[in-house]
Amino acid sequence: MKGTAAFRMPWTDEELVAKSIGGDSDSFNELVLRWERPIYALAYRTIGREEDARDVCQETFLRAFRALPGFRGQAKFSSWLYRIALNLCRDWMRRERRAPTVQAPEDVDLIEMAAAAEPSESIEDLVARKDLTRAVERAMALLPDEQRTAIVLKEYHGLTFQEIAELVGCPLSTVKTRLYQGLTVLRRELAKTEKRERWS
Amino acid sequence: MVMSETTRTACGFPGDRDETLIAYLYGDIDPATRAAFDAHLPACARCRDELTALGAVRTQLSTWSPPSFAVAGQSVLAPSPQPLASKWWQEVPAWAQVAAALVFLGVGAGLANLDVHYDRTGLSVRTGWSRSVPVGVARDFSPASANSANPAPWRADMTALEQQLRTQFRASATNVANPVNVANPVNASNPELIRRLKALVDESEKRQQRELALRVAEVLRDVNTQRQADLVKIDRTLGVLQNNTGVEVMRNRQMLNYLVTASQQRPQ
Repeated sequence: MKGTAAFRMPWTDEELVAKSIGGDSDSFNELVLRWERPIYALAYRTIGREEDARDVCQETFLRAFRALPGFRGQAKFSSWLYRIALNLCRDWMRRERRAPTVQAPEDVDLIEMAAAAEPSESIEDLVARKDLTRAVERAMALLPDEQRTAIVLKEYHGLTFQEIAELVGCPLSTVKTRLYQGLTVLRRELAKTEKRERWS
Repeated sequence: MVMSETTRTACGFPGDRDETLIAYLYGDIDPATRAAFDAHLPACARCRDELTALGAVRTQLSTWSPPSFAVAGQSVLAPSPQPLASKWWQEVPAWAQVAAALVFLGVGAGLANLDVHYDRTGLSVRTGWSRSVPVGVARDFSPASANSANPAPWRADMTALEQQLRTQFRASATNVANPVNVANPVNASNPELIRRLKALVDESEKRQQRELALRVAEVLRDVNTQRQADLVKIDRTLGVLQNNTGVEVMRNRQMLNYLVTASQQRPQ
């Protein structure tokens, strides 16, 4: 076995896409497993509802599957998926005719935060973090769609300004302006919350 | 905004200051602009303050995570194809669904040999099974006499239509089921499925334990808070009692002083 160990790097998205187009359903399965969490997180942070985010995620992959033969690889597969998901989120918000409500179930929040808690973290810290998460959710829900999307894509998905600009179809400088304005609003809202909590 | 007006107007960075600030904040900036902003920062309190504040906002944002995917419902496609499978019928056009319902009713009525009769006595509906065949009249099942003898002359047409719709349904179901098959766990290898299930069960157990620990901790915290509130209340009550006692003591002392003074004055 010396020097002959078959050690293959994981398939790239592009390779899996090519195999899926060729009829290999397991490859598409692999793409789903690889991208479902980021797409779900994007949908959740954009529309703020767990169930609907899951539906959007599911629909994103269905659409991607159907449109896969037409995918020519001009963009990265992830960008292509993000675009489908964002369009679906936009449709959802248009259909619902309202801003995202960001109503995360409180129990799940607690559990999630408990999961993320450091072993040494005290209950006070945990509760403080829970409050902060809620404050962030509320503040994010106040932002206009474009600002929220820009912040979500930059902050949580690490896209470059250029990638965001291509994804949402606006100039690079607009992306930066949206981020600046969005962060400024968040700063103000979070400061207000902090002040309120200090007085209560 | 916590920024003072003097610092607000103090920035003299050439170019678009807000865009540069954001690019600098995220480190998504070209080296020349970064160098220029680096040189600008020591002289500009406004930019320094804002950079710090927006950095703090980013830290706060990092605490926001969506509900766990496993909690939310495992994998969207792979482990739970049922929601997809259950939606196949939604792909069938509405007219086809209505037609199918009519066919179903028609075929059902045909099978039941339904007899709908309307005359002066009113509307009567009955199944043909109970209808008696007149004695001496032989039942003729030949196609030529179908119009007169067959109680459901449209049955053949309906059956044909039903067959056609069934074929269409099957075709639709197959089309829609393809993506489901892609995600069907049966397609995945069994060890993989077992591994995922095991992971889900483990995660569920851990979550329950965490939740329990959290609840206990919350109860302890509430008890502690209540205890502190009670202590404050007791302390306050004791203070009031002490005050009352002090006032009483003072009154007694005054009374005593008065009595002493009065008793001293009497012999004179």
